Amino acid sequence: MSIRRMTVTMAIAALAAFAAFPALAQGKTFTVGVPLPLTGAEAKFGEMEKQAYEMAVEEINAKGGVKGVKLALDIQDSGGKPDTATAIVEKFIGTNKYPIVVGEYTSQCSYAVAGVAEKYQVPYLVVTGAADKITQQGWKYVYRLNPPASLYNMGVFGFFEKVAKPKSIAILYENTDFGNSTSKAMKEYCDAHGVKVVLSEGYQAGGVDFKPILQKVKSLRPDIVYMVSYLMDASLLMRQSKELDINPQAFIGGGAGHTLPEFLQNAADASELCMSATLWTPQAKYPGAKDFFDNFKKKYGKEPDYHGVEAYAATYVLADVLKRTKSNTPDDLRNALAATDMMTAFGPVKFVSWGQFTNQNRMETLVLQVIKGKFETIWPPEGASAKYVYPVPHWRDRK
Amino acid sequence: MRKSPLVAFGAVAALAVVPLLVSNTYVLHMLVMVFLWVLLGQAWNLLGGYTGQVSYGHAAFFGVGAYTSAIMVKSGFSPAAAWWGLLAGGLLAALVGSVLGWICFRLRGPYFSLSILALSEVLRLVAVNWKDLTNGAEGILYIPAFNSKAAYYWIVLALAGVSYLTIRAVMRSKLGFYFLAIREDQDCAESLGIDTTKYKLYSLLISAFFTGVAGAFYMNYMGFIDPGIVFSLSDISIMMILVTMLGGAATMAGPAVGAVLYILMSEAFRVFLKSGHLLFFGILIIVIIIFFPQGIVGTLREKWAGRRLRAANATAPKAGA
Amino acid sequence: MSPQVAGQIELLGQVLISGILLGGLYALIGLGMSLIMGVMKIINLAHGELMMVAMYATYWMFTLAKVDPYVSLVVVCPAMFLLGVAIQKFLITPVMNADSILPQNQVLLTVGIGLVLSNLALLFFSANYRSVPVSYASKTIYWDVKMGGQTISLSFSYPFLVAFAIAVVLGAALFVFLGMTDTGRMIRATSQDKRAASLMGINTQRITYITFGLGAALVGAAGALLDPVYYLYPQIGGPFTSKAFVITVLGGMGNIPGAVLGGLVLGLAESLGSVYISLGYKDAFGFIIFVLVLIFLPKGLLGKGRA
Repeated sequence: MSIRRMTVTMAIAALAAFAAFPALAQGKTFTVGVPLPLTGAEAKFGEMEKQAYEMAVEEINAKGGVKGVKLALDIQDSGGKPDTATAIVEKFIGTNKYPIVVGEYTSQCSYAVAGVAEKYQVPYLVVTGAADKITQQGWKYVYRLNPPASLYNMGVFGFFEKVAKPKSIAILYENTDFGNSTSKAMKEYCDAHGVKVVLSEGYQAGGVDFKPILQKVKSLRPDIVYMVSYLMDASLLMRQSKELDINPQAFIGGGAGHTLPEFLQNAADASELCMSATLWTPQAKYPGAKDFFDNFKKKYGKEPDYHGVEAYAATYVLADVLKRTKSNTPDDLRNALAATDMMTAFGPVKFVSWGQFTNQNRMETLVLQVIKGKFETIWPPEGASAKYVYPVPHWRDRK
Repeated sequence: MRKSPLVAFGAVAALAVVPLLVSNTYVLHMLVMVFLWVLLGQAWNLLGGYTGQVSYGHAAFFGVGAYTSAIMVKSGFSPAAAWWGLLAGGLLAALVGSVLGWICFRLRGPYFSLSILALSEVLRLVAVNWKDLTNGAEGILYIPAFNSKAAYYWIVLALAGVSYLTIRAVMRSKLGFYFLAIREDQDCAESLGIDTTKYKLYSLLISAFFTGVAGAFYMNYMGFIDPGIVFSLSDISIMMILVTMLGGAATMAGPAVGAVLYILMSEAFRVFLKSGHLLFFGILIIVIIIFFPQGIVGTLREKWAGRRLRAANATAPKAGA
Repeated sequence: MSPQVAGQIELLGQVLISGILLGGLYALIGLGMSLIMGVMKIINLAHGELMMVAMYATYWMFTLAKVDPYVSLVVVCPAMFLLGVAIQKFLITPVMNADSILPQNQVLLTVGIGLVLSNLALLFFSANYRSVPVSYASKTIYWDVKMGGQTISLSFSYPFLVAFAIAVVLGAALFVFLGMTDTGRMIRATSQDKRAASLMGINTQRITYITFGLGAALVGAAGALLDPVYYLYPQIGGPFTSKAFVITVLGGMGNIPGAVLGGLVLGLAESLGSVYISLGYKDAFGFIIFVLVLIFLPKGLLGKGRA
């Protein structure tokens, strides 16, 4: 009978599943579980972060590991899907008994993973997921290395107040968690500071032609065009803005897509003088920042952006936590994580709580600008690698 | 088929004790996913397999079910809203199903398939853009009611069992024969006095109901949904077809076999083959479709039953879809 | 005329231009699917992935040998034709010949093919976003119109214009091919009634190979033309598949002028809708028109396609 066959099949499959995941050899290694998108649309970032984690682990192990214990990574592909990420973390916690979870890329996945970690009371270090709400739930086991999305723009706000003083702004953002959070923060800031928001629209990623909406932006003549794009939409937006000869005082991106090395290649001359909020640049005055950039480029033949250094720094935070922890139980690890106060290539890391945020690393965010085809840090002035160009000249006047 | 109720009871009883023997949450999680997909496969099979109305848009019902339950929980009806949500999710999905059916059943064959796909994509975009109701792309998070996997396991097992029994009962009733008649030849069924639009709609309602229940369960179990997950064309709509077809469309055991295969294979591939897993999954689909054109259950049954009749049919070239 | 009115006219003009130019590209993507659906009555869900393959082929020819994407059409289209023939011959035909309760096996097969193609690309080419940085990528032709004392400045993207022109030429060539040549007539005959066609001595098997090959070559051309204005990564195909069948149904399956019209309608609907209704719902407009057409004009906009 088919039902019986089904039962047998299932039993065999369940056994196979058991056999497939032997507990990782304990002893002289400490394994950390990392879910990352290695397939799907965000695979590019997942791959960059994977390489950065691996690089950091190699460096730490080359120096003898942490207290004689080598670090090992168990990186699993979530495909950028929250349900797969959840399943992976269930396995990390339930089967592998990993006492700490690190990683993920998108806000959606990080949020879902955080829910699981909190449920099982296992500490989770968020590395990239930026939506504000992840650290606004009052969760006790969720710590975040990167600033929340609403703070990505702090550098830009500083630039607005001290230099740009814009009167109007048009906001275009990708309809994702990250895009919503970042653009919402920008809109709230503008409403509070008397900057007129002439347009604020979300779009679905992957469009070929943004010219119709950009033409509308052009007809509204804003001082600033602000865009939040995860991926390559950033370069299409800039290319097509150039084609339409849109001439605001400045184009500013909200991070992610506008800070990718590929942005420069794809948008080419259309990326020139585009600004973007960013968390990090290789010129950042943090110890090891430039070394990380150079070593990564040498090792993998491509440039990392801030996502890479987040993963790299997260590994060092983990090593630091392991050095300080009393034991490797989830609670001791959490206590050690909570007490973190260190400097990394990504910047200072210390988890604090303020307002609605809990266990959130707070750091200065920067503004970069593409000058002569290179990302230069332009804000804040004390860390700048180049002087900003503002307002930017009209496209037709550029040579 | 006479022995089957006893066997089914035995199987369910055997399955029900699994959580008492297995404490590993990951294994239980995989089994929960298997039964969720059994439920989804059964639901799709009724409309697609038995009634022959191949839907590429069942994510619409899954999504509506999930969002109904999520919004009920979030708006704070009562702590038990999540469980009422299972029923409400199913009913609302059936309601949406009746609207989609009213529109799409004017069309036949691939046109039906495509129109329902298009409308499910429209619903996804509504869920993304109607932020006041759905929280948009940010999704809805809900900390699940139980920490124990066993509770969810029993619930989903019961749901899968109920859907199995319901669909079996339907297929043995007059209704079931109407469905088969519609699949085999709609014009002929019409000429025999069967109100095909009405019966197609019935089939869709039952199918959408169970899909909505599955969506609501998914929300309760996973604790996080966003439009990209629950209205997904590639991960829900297409996979529902895949699960049914792999196991065997228009067979009672097909969706179950397909669900086991889909969940365990994709998980095993993901773990062992790292980022190459989807490649092998794609190859697996191709291989199964070429070598098991009726799905695994269907093809094996055919082999056992002897192929005389089928072979006779197969010599005649098949007319276009 | 006030500057505001001029601004609105400029906006409308630009939106129409963008919609039409984009529609040309969409038409080319839809043509291939229309042909395949018309002849074989199957929905090819690997259509976008085939385009992705062509985009990578174009990319590599540009990167390694500096071949201009428009020149590489000469190589990419025949190569895609062969790939299409191979897929039809070795994968789809055996499944089509097998008896099955539902005709959807072939469709699932194309899902599998799509997964294999996109993940092979991931394996070989990594997940990196790539682009073909041609010198004319953002080259634009401006057209200033004097109207009522105001200047209205319209812009035409050069690569979009070229893509539009090539799409029109290919569409016309296909129309002529189907109407004037023996093979073309055989394809049409097969699309109208496969059994009758085979009774008339047409090797319908061979016709399906040619059809799938042509479909792949057309979407390959679209991929090559898209390269200069877009970017590529392994998962890029998916959304274009759904655009392709929207276009196909708008035009009527197998209806060549219909597919071109369908592409234009979709391009215009997206452009106008995103500006005058809501950017967030841009992708919904195509689907809504699609369902409306299905219900009220089931034979497509031109009303000649055979359902």
